[in-house]
Amino acid sequence: MRRARRIAALAVAFGVVAGVALTNTAAFAQSATPSADEKVTFVSGTTNDMRTVNPFKAIETPEYEVLSLNYDMLINFAKDDLGPAPGLATEWSQSEDGLTWTFTIRDDAFWQDGEQVNADDIAFTFSRIVEFQLGSGLDYLPYSTPESFTAPDDRTFVWTTEVPTIAPTIPPWIYIVPEHLWADRDKDAMKKWNFEPGTNPSIGSGPFELTEWTKGDSWTMTANPDYWGGAPEIDEYVVRRFNNEEAMVTALKSGEIDYLSAIGPDLFDSLEGQAGITQWVGPATGFVQMSMNSCDPENTASDFCADTGSTGHPALLDPVVRTAIAHAIDKDTLVERILGGYGEAGETIVPPFASQWHYSPTEDEAVTFDLAAANALLDDAGYADTDGDGVREMPGGGEPLDFRFILRSEDEQAPDMGRFISGWLTEIGIATSSEVLTDGKLVNAWLDNDYDLYIWGWGPDPDPDFILSTFTSNQCGSWSDTCYSNPEYDQLYTDQKTASDTADRQAIINEMQQIIYRDVPEIVLFYDKSLEAYRSDEWTGLEDNISPTPEGFLWGQYTAYTALTVQPIGAGGTTSGGSGGGVSPVVWLGILGAIVIVIAVVLLSRRGRSDEDAA
Amino acid sequence: MGTQRYLLGKIAQVLFTLFFILTFNFFLFRIMPGDPVTLLVRSAGAELTPEQQDELRADLGLDKPIFPDQYVDYMRDTLTGNFGVSTIIDPGRPVSEIFWERMGRSFILLFTSTVASIAIGTLMGIYGGWRRGGRVDNGSMVGSMILYSMPEYVLGILLLLLFANVFQIFPTAGYIDPVADYTGLAYVADYLNHMALPFLTLTLAYLGEYYLLMRSSLLDVMGEEFITLARAKGVREKYVLRRHAVRNALLPTVTLIALSFAFVLGGAITVELVFTYPGVGLLSYDALVNRDFPVLQGTFLFFSVAVLLANLIADLTYGYLDPRVRTA
Repeated sequence: MRRARRIAALAVAFGVVAGVALTNTAAFAQSATPSADEKVTFVSGTTNDMRTVNPFKAIETPEYEVLSLNYDMLINFAKDDLGPAPGLATEWSQSEDGLTWTFTIRDDAFWQDGEQVNADDIAFTFSRIVEFQLGSGLDYLPYSTPESFTAPDDRTFVWTTEVPTIAPTIPPWIYIVPEHLWADRDKDAMKKWNFEPGTNPSIGSGPFELTEWTKGDSWTMTANPDYWGGAPEIDEYVVRRFNNEEAMVTALKSGEIDYLSAIGPDLFDSLEGQAGITQWVGPATGFVQMSMNSCDPENTASDFCADTGSTGHPALLDPVVRTAIAHAIDKDTLVERILGGYGEAGETIVPPFASQWHYSPTEDEAVTFDLAAANALLDDAGYADTDGDGVREMPGGGEPLDFRFILRSEDEQAPDMGRFISGWLTEIGIATSSEVLTDGKLVNAWLDNDYDLYIWGWGPDPDPDFILSTFTSNQCGSWSDTCYSNPEYDQLYTDQKTASDTADRQAIINEMQQIIYRDVPEIVLFYDKSLEAYRSDEWTGLEDNISPTPEGFLWGQYTAYTALTVQPIGAGGTTSGGSGGGVSPVVWLGILGAIVIVIAVVLLSRRGRSDEDAA
Repeated sequence: MGTQRYLLGKIAQVLFTLFFILTFNFFLFRIMPGDPVTLLVRSAGAELTPEQQDELRADLGLDKPIFPDQYVDYMRDTLTGNFGVSTIIDPGRPVSEIFWERMGRSFILLFTSTVASIAIGTLMGIYGGWRRGGRVDNGSMVGSMILYSMPEYVLGILLLLLFANVFQIFPTAGYIDPVADYTGLAYVADYLNHMALPFLTLTLAYLGEYYLLMRSSLLDVMGEEFITLARAKGVREKYVLRRHAVRNALLPTVTLIALSFAFVLGGAITVELVFTYPGVGLLSYDALVNRDFPVLQGTFLFFSVAVLLANLIADLTYGYLDPRVRTA
């Protein structure tokens, strides 16, 4: 017994030591940081996990971020306006007949395994995409066959199309892969490829190479000192995944991470005035829209709409009703209340960050928030409330204007948006029946044309081609939000793809935006801005290289500019690893030791007892 | 003979339940609205034509009829130990491989915190029941009620705010620091730092339950006549407690330990979500969100089997501890 007691006293003493040490944790943690060769690492947080880094299969934002650092494109997005800028191609020209584009390929680009990047690699990547019909890249290679892409010599790449097109300068959002590593892979192997350290390295020609990936947790990219655009200032870029925004914001405050993005307005505001943290309001690259069922099986250029039919309310096929609804929505209030002010009221379907292409309606064209005007429009068109229940009926006293309004369960803001909009519509004699559906169910409703209204969003490319395509008749049943069909618009879409120069294309695209704004198959409610924040007490080189301008991203840019310039403040080069606190090994040793001793004491005291309990 | 029949009956019951679970798992995940492809379709950047979508569906084996084709494939594969490959969250990697990698991390967390909550909760319960109405008992009674009734994620977020935000002692997420390449003791310390808050959350969350049960069970036993007899024999109070009271009072705790296994796994999911701890809990959540059917089925099957086994063990242990159960 006595011996046991002495050990117990020892354990208590141990515990006290551990406790004292715990209060000095910060000092311990610092001094215990093991690696002497200071490696400069920039750490960012994301709430969006990565699934694949296959250049032909990426879907999520973090996947694109990794690819944009790991690979090069034929033509980059310019820093200021996201137009075409030199990438692997230094210059390009179109032939007289408009059918052939010739690109000069830079001679200072190398794959991360040391081989030189040649025109063959580009021709190979593009042909394979067309031949194997690989993923999203296809959209960027219109009017082309696998034979369209050739490399007459190492420094010349030639792209011949069936009709004249501006597509090669959009630029094609395709990451160029090395032919010498990918040539042997058949279609299946190309689609199934994924990064595996050691066996399947992620070899590109970009400023960073993906070198580690702990699934569901974090991934590490290592700088490529031989990058043709210059070596990055940092040694490593690490992304840590968080399952919730709150924890991610906490990690920024404690210095565990250096950068974060894509957080809600409330959390963003909570960073205000935090020492060492700079908040950054980026560009409005996406939009949230309210779509109105525009499928009219009797009158459509879409086979899909004609075959599938529609359960949509007949009133929504009348542009007057759609315009009245547009008049009844106070977009400024939505920006203020839903986005906390971090956004812009919605206008046309090309977001303003694509400053070159965005069309802003003139004062005459603008459909402003005006309930009186909305009511007047509906009165004049014969939508009267004949039975006095506050809801208008179809002209001649038919079906009441009661719309099925679908909100996404996966969108936290949906209930609030729904309440605002339903409230305004009530004031113009339109009733709504809200339903909250999962994305899966909404997709089904949308593909069956089985809805009246729904709210969803888009994150378009810098070039408007794709978002414009979603309103063409043949996108109905595929990408079209509303099954809108307008032969005039369809023709304009083809025209802009084959326009002879940028000014022509600009004029056509403006007209397309005007048509959609005037016909209102959907209402762009607002453009939401990206919200970012970083540790400005430790890092510099971000704010002077934002892209695009004047409002741009600090990080996660379309073409990575700040990835080359971000650097620690001060020549010493602070690493951020382990700076988020933590108990030092010595303290843990103490704690574990104390636990072991306590257990030992308990066991010993049990043994000591056995002779006494015969009673 | 009675024991043998009891055993065989139990095992047959388990096998039948297992078959039911396998079938149920299969259909449960397939009646959820939205197949993986339609979900991918609307994600930003996934610009797939309808033909590409069909091809993707074929790749994932979703083009065959659910019954009988997909079901038969699934049963045959599962029974032969082939759980398939992940379709979405880690495409192409065998589910069992993904699972065991994550399970290692979860096991350390779950095992240590369960042992800690049982040990601390039970010891506190014994002390509380013994010194009933004392200051310690009253204090821990209130504390236990609060911990017992608080959802794990609320407790987790509170601890996160306190230790990661206010005091900045422990990291907010992950299981190791991906930046520093720690080795040896520093690696272990880093691992423990990351495990500290999830561990604390789980331990505290389940401690109250064990405390309350042990305390009330001990109070029951202390009123029994054999305790009075032991005291009358002149056995010292300490040994009355240890040899007579605690031993009998432990019976309900054993049942609870086995039953609570299911709750611990459930708790693992919430706690791993709060602290982004990449174990099986986070894995099953990711699989659910992304409709990665093979991974989802694999993790659910494991959870179900684990609970079944725990119950079986509880039954058998109980039979061993209390012979009356076997013959009943």
